[in-house]
Amino acid sequence: MINLIVILASAIMFALLLVWWRWPVFRVWIEAPKYSMLRQERRFDDQEREPVTNLSPMASRRSSP
Amino acid sequence: MTTFAQHLTGQDEGPNAQSSGALPSIEYGLVRAHVVASLVTLVISVLFGILVATKFTLPEFLGSHGSLTWGRLRYNHTEGIFFGWLGNAFLAFFYYAVPRLANRPILSRRLGWLLFVVWNFAVVLPGWMLVAAGFGQPLEWAEFPLGVAAFVVLAFILMVFEFVLPFLRARPSDLYVSGWYIIGGIIFTMLAYPVGNVVPYLVPGARGAAFSGLWIHDAVGLFVTPFAVAIAYYVIPATTRRPIYSHFLSMVGFWLLFFIYPLNGTHHYVYSAIPMSAQKGAIVASAYLGMDVILVVANLLLSLRRSSGIASKDVPLRFVWFGVIAYLVVSLQGSVQALMPVNRFIHFTDWVIGHSHLAMIGFASFIALGGIAHMWQRIPGTRYNERTMNWSFWLIATGLTLMVADLTIAGLVEAQVWQSSAPWIDSVRAVGSYWLVRTLSGLPILAGFLLFWTSLITGPTLSDSVVSENGRTASVDVAAFEDGSASPEVRWTGWLSHAHVVAFGAGVGFFALSFLVLAIIPGNQLEREIKQAAPVTMASLTASEQRGRVIYGREGCAYCHTEQVRSLAADVRRFGAPTEAWETKYDYPQLWGTRRIGPDLSREFNLRPRDWQLTHLYNPRLVVRDSVMPPYPWLFDGSPDQPTQEGLDVLAYIQSLGRARQLSGLDRQIPPSSVQPATMDMAIAGAPSARATPPTVPIAMMGGYSLSAPLVHPASDPNDLQEEVSRGGALFAANCAACHGSAGRGDGKASASLLPKPANLTAARFSDERLSSVLWNGVAGSAMPPWRQLPTEDLRALIAYIQSLHAPAAAPGIDETASLDLGKALFVATCASCHGDSGEGNGPAAGALAPAPTNFHLKKPTEERAWDVLENGVPGTAMPPWQNQLSADQRHALVEFVRSLYDPPKENDGQ
Repeated sequence: MINLIVILASAIMFALLLVWWRWPVFRVWIEAPKYSMLRQERRFDDQEREPVTNLSPMASRRSSP
Repeated sequence: MTTFAQHLTGQDEGPNAQSSGALPSIEYGLVRAHVVASLVTLVISVLFGILVATKFTLPEFLGSHGSLTWGRLRYNHTEGIFFGWLGNAFLAFFYYAVPRLANRPILSRRLGWLLFVVWNFAVVLPGWMLVAAGFGQPLEWAEFPLGVAAFVVLAFILMVFEFVLPFLRARPSDLYVSGWYIIGGIIFTMLAYPVGNVVPYLVPGARGAAFSGLWIHDAVGLFVTPFAVAIAYYVIPATTRRPIYSHFLSMVGFWLLFFIYPLNGTHHYVYSAIPMSAQKGAIVASAYLGMDVILVVANLLLSLRRSSGIASKDVPLRFVWFGVIAYLVVSLQGSVQALMPVNRFIHFTDWVIGHSHLAMIGFASFIALGGIAHMWQRIPGTRYNERTMNWSFWLIATGLTLMVADLTIAGLVEAQVWQSSAPWIDSVRAVGSYWLVRTLSGLPILAGFLLFWTSLITGPTLSDSVVSENGRTASVDVAAFEDGSASPEVRWTGWLSHAHVVAFGAGVGFFALSFLVLAIIPGNQLEREIKQAAPVTMASLTASEQRGRVIYGREGCAYCHTEQVRSLAADVRRFGAPTEAWETKYDYPQLWGTRRIGPDLSREFNLRPRDWQLTHLYNPRLVVRDSVMPPYPWLFDGSPDQPTQEGLDVLAYIQSLGRARQLSGLDRQIPPSSVQPATMDMAIAGAPSARATPPTVPIAMMGGYSLSAPLVHPASDPNDLQEEVSRGGALFAANCAACHGSAGRGDGKASASLLPKPANLTAARFSDERLSSVLWNGVAGSAMPPWRQLPTEDLRALIAYIQSLHAPAAAPGIDETASLDLGKALFVATCASCHGDSGEGNGPAAGALAPAPTNFHLKKPTEERAWDVLENGVPGTAMPPWQNQLSADQRHALVEFVRSLYDPPKENDGQ
């Protein structure tokens, strides 16, 4: 049981590190979401600064036209 | 018109829906609704918690109402925090973050409101009401009744549609880590929740505990942790406007968490009957989990580098930062306390309660509060008061730090007492002041939560989003990602384009693996063991005992009293033989417990008499002065000797605990002559292998007269004796006065419902030998327990004090010789069958009597007492009244004779 857990967890870690080390394009791909997340956040922020028409406390504000 | 299937799969949207530039809608109404629900339920849940804590200091506070008893409030406290507070906070975050992360709206606003109604009005509210009404179940993190649990599962199914489908409709290869945590948390919790609720009703005892352990840990690991970490990974970059340090590390952390966390479950049952291979597997997984958390926290903290200015000014970010630090501390603490050398010491103590509060408040609640505050600032038209928010942070942080430190120290104190041979109640006394501090520490936390709420409804209205101001502080990273240079388009081909799907499949595989290695394989092993070891004649519970078990569960008894003696010397010495799997063959659901405030009850069979148990249940402080156990007057018709059917059912259940073990004959019983002094008992218990089958009945509690009881003499020096009497008085007041009365007249509060009545210690002269024996062995057939856990000097002081209660009377005169002869003749004719010819309490019938007949050589009653006994007998014993059979002269002769038998105390032999 212990051996199984140790081998599996270690193998996964080793495989991930190996891929990260040997495959530069993987690094670029795996890091991409952290930029797209911020880009998306900026888009929403820009939209939030637009004039607000419906401020009813429980009303949903549809941000898309 | 689009079909529902098209809607689910996104086919109703145009092919360029994602790239058209139109942003998905965010249901701010649902965000607000869940924020309000989360804060309302938070305050109510914390009030439940403060009431629970108060009852440790004032156990009878609000104690006359079943709905406000400790156990039911405890259930509602944790379930309220879990479902009401954190559940609603997480849902609010999902409605805010999922459209942003997936670039798709949630599936349906109507479905959202349905989910809101189900979560709050089919789960939280009815759950609280049903638990208060006495329908709770004794399963940790699953205390709401099964009917409510069905709605929880329904809610998670709705969450899959509402929040997971938008991700599936988006491009998964570009999914940010918070999205992965949301998907993983929803799906794995949906799968794991029924395990904690249903399986223990289908799989009994030790086998059920293996499954329960999975859910106990998965509740935190698959529900609380993923969603809290998702918020942290979202709030930090959204506030600092900088990308996280490494998305690669975040994904490694994510998958390791889902691979490793489910494998931790059995570390809640270390040293139990669950196969050791499963226990050790869970311990190793716990160590791995600690390493994973170091990775996650390092990544989060590195994401805050160069943003210390923002972190110190932005209160929501400070909440998240505190939560991340607490996550590191609590996770490392968890890994360490799973290790066997630590676990054997601190498990069941308040240390673990401090650990869980650090997890649920320090980690999860701080991050959830930070997430709410972060969102709230970005919802147009809301109010936000930064000053009160700041005060809220410091109040909660201060209260929590005090609470965790206090409970951690209290746990160490309890552990120290439990390792000794001191009476259990000493551990309760030792931490009384810590419990008071713990209650007080809850007040700033409550005030902080109220201020947090205040900060969301006061202050200036936010007409523009706060983040826009932070967003202007552009950095190199921001510039990089805005011009696209830092986020190149990487196209994947072949199976790698489905890498996330493969990884998710692996996650499901590990989830299944956890059930296989921690529940199914150990369960099968336990099943074989049970078949081999369980006696064929092992009886299941009677109908009354079964009903009592349900009541025991609904009142939360299992949250203070374990029903598992662990394979540890301290446990064996105190409670008896370790619990074996076959003993739990009929336990649906298992009630092993993970906390001890009161002693373990798994060896209660034949340990205490019925009247003691009922009196204790009616009001524990009638028989144990410093007990913090709640009273259960609703199980009685006004007095302890008038139990209702429910009271009798609970009594029947408690008195059945350990019956199968004791009746099995599997344990080698120690003959009285081999009973050794306490030091030897400890040596035996310290090396269980030296005796393959330790006695079932706890060594410290074994009743029956033992010739080997140490003979303890009070001091012979008058000054020393006076000192002993003084100290004995204090010991007597703490341990004995509840039954024997403050003056030792047998008229304590408990005496009204005990039969036979507690001895009137002023009405007889007791020899050193008699008192030594009673204190060592108790009095079988009465409520008098053994007190051999007390140190010898305490026993000596008690003997000195008890003997001081008796006022010596004049010895019989020589002219009464004739009366003594008559008394002796009468004694031989009428009393010797029980008391023996010479009055040593060893007549032919004595062996079958409990309490045993009096040995008049060791006890000299006063004339009044002896006369009263002859007139009225001793209710609750075999001693009948002799008023009608013997004349007054004859009774007078008998009184003189039995008083003449007393041997003066032997001289102090130095023991």
